[in-house]
Amino acid sequence: MTERIRALMHFQWERLHHAARIALPEDLELTYRDRSLPDTLRTALRLKQALEMETPYLFDNEIIAFTRTVPNLPRIFDDAEWAAITEGHFIHELGNVSNLSPDYASVISVGLLAWREKLGEGELHRAMRISIDAVLKLTARYAAAARAKGDEALAEVLDRVPALPPRTFREALQSLRILHYAMWCEGDYHNTMGRFDQTMIPYLRADLEAGRETEESAFELLEAFFLACNRDSDLYPGMQQGDNGQSIVLGGMLPDGTDGFNLLSKWCLKASAELRLIDPKINLRVNKDTPLEVYELGTQLTKLGLGFPQYENDDVAIPGLEALGYDTEDARNYAMAACWEFIIPGRAMDIVNIGALPFANIVDRVLREHLTACRSLEEVKALVREAIFADVRKTLAERRNLYVIPSPYLSLFFDGCLESGRDISLGCKYNNWGLHGTGVAPAADMLAAVDQEVFHGDTAPEALLRAMADNFVGHDALRDQLKYHCPKAGNDDDRVDGLVGWLLDTFADAVEGLHNERGGIIRAGTGSAMFYIFHANELGATADGREAGVPLPANYAPSLNIRLNGPVSLIKSFSKPDLRRTINGGPLTIEFSDSVFSQEESITKVAQLVRLFVQRGGHQLQLNTVNRERMLDAQKHPENYRNLIVRVWGWSGYFVELDKCYQDHIIRRAELLV
Amino acid sequence: MSNASPLQPKGQAATAPHESCGFQRGLAAPAQARNGATAVGIVFDIKEFAVFDGPGIRTTVFMKGCPLRCQWCHNPEGLSPKPQLMVSTAACVHCGACERACPLGAEVPTGGCWQPKGCTACGACVPACRGGFRKIAGTAWTAEDLAARLNKDADVFRATGGGVTFSGGEPLLQWDFVSGVLDRLAGVHTAVETSGFTTDAVFAQVMEKLDLVMMDWKVSDPEAHRRYTGVDQAPIRRHARMLAAGDTPFILRMPIIPGVNDEREHFETVAELVKGAKSLVRVDVLPYQRAAGAKYDMVGRTYAPEFDEAAAPKYFLDVFEREGIPCQVFR
Repeated sequence: MTERIRALMHFQWERLHHAARIALPEDLELTYRDRSLPDTLRTALRLKQALEMETPYLFDNEIIAFTRTVPNLPRIFDDAEWAAITEGHFIHELGNVSNLSPDYASVISVGLLAWREKLGEGELHRAMRISIDAVLKLTARYAAAARAKGDEALAEVLDRVPALPPRTFREALQSLRILHYAMWCEGDYHNTMGRFDQTMIPYLRADLEAGRETEESAFELLEAFFLACNRDSDLYPGMQQGDNGQSIVLGGMLPDGTDGFNLLSKWCLKASAELRLIDPKINLRVNKDTPLEVYELGTQLTKLGLGFPQYENDDVAIPGLEALGYDTEDARNYAMAACWEFIIPGRAMDIVNIGALPFANIVDRVLREHLTACRSLEEVKALVREAIFADVRKTLAERRNLYVIPSPYLSLFFDGCLESGRDISLGCKYNNWGLHGTGVAPAADMLAAVDQEVFHGDTAPEALLRAMADNFVGHDALRDQLKYHCPKAGNDDDRVDGLVGWLLDTFADAVEGLHNERGGIIRAGTGSAMFYIFHANELGATADGREAGVPLPANYAPSLNIRLNGPVSLIKSFSKPDLRRTINGGPLTIEFSDSVFSQEESITKVAQLVRLFVQRGGHQLQLNTVNRERMLDAQKHPENYRNLIVRVWGWSGYFVELDKCYQDHIIRRAELLV
Repeated sequence: MSNASPLQPKGQAATAPHESCGFQRGLAAPAQARNGATAVGIVFDIKEFAVFDGPGIRTTVFMKGCPLRCQWCHNPEGLSPKPQLMVSTAACVHCGACERACPLGAEVPTGGCWQPKGCTACGACVPACRGGFRKIAGTAWTAEDLAARLNKDADVFRATGGGVTFSGGEPLLQWDFVSGVLDRLAGVHTAVETSGFTTDAVFAQVMEKLDLVMMDWKVSDPEAHRRYTGVDQAPIRRHARMLAAGDTPFILRMPIIPGVNDEREHFETVAELVKGAKSLVRVDVLPYQRAAGAKYDMVGRTYAPEFDEAAAPKYFLDVFEREGIPCQVFR
């Protein structure tokens, strides 16, 4: 790390730039709130106003500029207008375009002015022009501020981009910073920076070959860019701070079928390890032939406790996406939508998290209502299958007449919007919807327990239901039997792993052939997002011996209150199902104690473990390194742990800034660690 | 408590140990299978992905029972050869459910949370505890079942140069059983972590059969050795010499205990023992960890080391450097 980076990092870490932040004036005149203006133009005018309110703010020795000074955006609609809209529409999350992967690369490479020249007079085009002009105007003010500060080098970069194609790596990074910054200012969120290494490698290579940059100076630029990604991240909307979707994807197959892991992919892993910040969150695409050395680089990051990289397996994801109807070159080009959902850059207006199938709750309900009438596991499974089909259809029926706030600026980064004049919020090449699947492991554990204890054991169904109703109080022997002596997903036991596979397959069957109102298909997944907290709260004691109040696991992970054999069994268990069919996304998560890494050779061993998961057909894997005692102490003395980073569900955040229920869940997970 | 619990093989509950595993204070004498019956081993833990117990991805089997009484032992549940009750007392709420479940009835001390006199490790109180604070450490395995459990992951072991490690306790106390398991392992790397306190005949078999021997060298001075470990050093010294002269790859492990063996002479003794040994992999230096006493309460023992736990152990790596002896410190 250079002195310059160290100084920038210190400044930022001490939040000194927050002093420049100003609140929205209360009497702010919202010129775009004219009821006769269509929503597309309003969005553009609000972006214009937001960027006009910004004051250029430069750090000393700035490298990659653009820092937010106005933390809040005024809303596009007033309360009455928004109430009218929500009355007749399904609104997803906050209503904005989110969880997509804009094709920044294409816009960066030609510049915003070239895009502007293609614009005509239609509504979307007018809105796009307003947006482009607003971005360029703020850039010009930043350039002037740089000159006033005597920083001619930065001023020249800002004279050039994002209006024109970058000539250098620095210009390309600055262009991406500005384009991504403006995305937040349009009100869009959770949209990723996509295949960053592919976007940037041509510029880096050209600089190195021409001798414009040395490896050291170019690496400094990269670190400055990463730093810039963290300046405003506390302002981004999310369930919890850190949940901001600001991720990048490294490596992986290119649309032409070649492997994309390059020098910059490697540098990104190294820069992230040096800086130890929560952004950008790193996804690393791998396949069965990925060399161990790449996993070792990734593991160096894991060791630091950042909670990334998260690994995606091309061998499973690409065929899985193809089977869902994505074109081969698009499937090969996948990125991650915010957390872990697979998304195609520049071509997908997929809503990857429109709902969640609560596996555990469904199995629990079927057992409560029908167990006494069932004579075999097959009968229970038939009812569970019916219930899964019904739940998926009910979810879909509740999502009618979707309204998404237009994003004319973001539409610049999606194929066909400019040509068709249709805003990205209305759709793109792919308009598929994704459903999470929460609690699949406890659901399978419940079925396995019932099979062993009721259908092949001495427990009467009434006795089990009674014990569940009593939260197992007075039924200790049964609870112990269910909890510790029945097969558990994660222990490489075919009796229950087969049930996990069956549940996932059933989910995939249930969505097959369904279409949403936009003509897209429905994707089944293994993720949970925050649903693991919601769904657990709706459950009482369950047939797997879990008492009421014990949380469900996040994502694709074993139950929290069981005994596990260890990580080898875990990986074998969770790579058994055919995960190509449930490829909406959702990783297996493994927690390591930081003591595992006290010897250097552990890096290789953990890397081998990750490779094992990939080679056995796992789809996504995410590893955490935690120290339970440190987390417990951080709850008591948060002031001492400002930089303690943990993984929550699909993203990493600062432990002390999380709500307690999330802190507690992470601590509980740590009790099962290796 | 470690995450892995004794895995109960299907249809086989934790039972009293096979008679042949009887504890004796003398040299670790191999248990004999009698009347052609399958030997049973008592295992107190099976740990997957044991990263410090040899090369590659490997699983470590902790065999119960040890003839030594090292003052710094951090696995007190490995001392007795029999299955025994372990209780996590710190979080006990004294609800008394364990007492009501105990078949010994009136002999249970009042107040709950601990084990009765004459506890047979029957396990009746384990499910009764709603906190999950009780367990039986020590599960009987047949060599066939244990080998099957381990062979399940043989593909992973082979792919990573890993395998299986037998640790303890003192695994050589149940050598016949361990040997029987080794015979059934499917071509994977095998290792043992031992005190070296066994007969010469057994040790020769160990060197013959294992791919890697990790043996402790605890205290160099014979008198101090007896004081701090409870046993005679002579056989251990003989076995260190056998390793140094032999072909079996070996690691000599040095637990460094403040005030007991953190002296230059101790390091020089080790250097002298392994100097020129062609099959030495390295010397492992394992400085004392303060968490060592954590589990004593759980097995009803008192942790009472005669050394100063808080002192920082010293080590003299220059001794090895000078002799060109590879070594690794586990901090």
